Amino acid sequence: MAASRNEVILSASKAPLGAASRAASHGLTIDALVGQHYGFIWRVLRGLGLSRADAEDATQQVFMIAARKLDAIDPDRARSFVYGAALRVAKNALRGQRRRREVVADDELLDEAEPEARGPEKMAELVQARRLLAQVLAHLDEKHRRVIVLAEVEQLEVPEIALLEGVPVGTAASRLRVAREKFRALLLTLRDHNPFADEP
Amino acid sequence: MTPDPVDQLSARLFESARSEAVPRGAEQHAIEMARREMVRETTLTERGSEREKWLAAAACVALAAAVAFLLRPKDTVLGISAEPSTVVHVRPEPRHVTSSTTSAVAPIEPSRSVTAPSVTVPASSLPSPSKPTPTTTGMTAAPAHSAPASLSEELSALKVASSALGAGDAKGALAALDRYDRVLKGQKLRAEATLLKIEALSRSGEPAAASALAQRFVDQNPGSPLVDRARSFVVQ
Repeated sequence: MAASRNEVILSASKAPLGAASRAASHGLTIDALVGQHYGFIWRVLRGLGLSRADAEDATQQVFMIAARKLDAIDPDRARSFVYGAALRVAKNALRGQRRRREVVADDELLDEAEPEARGPEKMAELVQARRLLAQVLAHLDEKHRRVIVLAEVEQLEVPEIALLEGVPVGTAASRLRVAREKFRALLLTLRDHNPFADEP
Repeated sequence: MTPDPVDQLSARLFESARSEAVPRGAEQHAIEMARREMVRETTLTERGSEREKWLAAAACVALAAAVAFLLRPKDTVLGISAEPSTVVHVRPEPRHVTSSTTSAVAPIEPSRSVTAPSVTVPASSLPSPSKPTPTTTGMTAAPAHSAPASLSEELSALKVASSALGAGDAKGALAALDRYDRVLKGQKLRAEATLLKIEALSRSGEPAAASALAQRFVDQNPGSPLVDRARSFVVQ
């Protein structure tokens, strides 16, 4: 019995890295799941207010949860599953972030993929833009923040947002409308922070 | 018509969020962590089903004991019947019995205790309680188990060893582990027993033996979750 336990561990750890980790009964593999949804989950978590580092940790947690439940995930609803898990993980992570009272450094708002080729001005703009966006989103309540991130950052249609949020399409549309109005109102009050020099 | 500056600003802010790239290597790292999680989950599930199997076996033993108790002969003196009480062992995997042990333990016929007429006999004619009764199983412990030890028996033996070790009695722990090996012929918690033995050897002033055993354990069980602990006893 101990041997069989070890065999399981050994066989799994010896699996080639590029190969699918496990072919579930419906063919969904963890590699495919991560490949398809990593960016989506990471950006949603960033939109919800997590720092880059916390978003990375939280995204990892989401896929570890998904790995445990892989057999039970319907491939057609995989995005809903990871989105739901991300919201739960985000709650804890945000609580931890608030407890640490983190101040986001400017470097934290830049990613490695943004080379100096953009120029220092552009980089400063990006940093300020992300900071302003985070400020405005932080003033929205959670459900409005979620729908506006899904609509504006992920550019999803209302029916897709409704599906992810588990609400009727009408509710999702109404939430999005309110969220956009609030966002706009908040932006008007914060316009003096406008990072774009060419804006009026 | 000039575009609304607030809308323009919003669009640029959201564009800045969309343009943010995920940390380099994070996706691959997430895949690796998720794979490890799947392996851990598989191991835990296996352990769980193993535990369930043994719980079911224990329940069967208890049920059989209850049935035997209910159907026991009525005319007993001080709870001792002329017919030796029979404990029916229900084991999921009967182990091969060596000839030496079969000669000591007669085959059990559970129906005999029910159908055979009971005869009350004087206590003096009963076999001495100090001597093992050849046809009695369970009540008088045989020196070596003819059937595989149950998980709870193995666990008890290891608890004894662990307690002894905790109390600083390394020799006592080794004795308990020796019983686990020789009497119980323990298999289910073999890895845990080996680790305890390594620790007991180390504490009883035999670091070289502990190191050799630890090295063997590491070599034979590279995927075991206990391997890191074992490795800490290996003297380079």
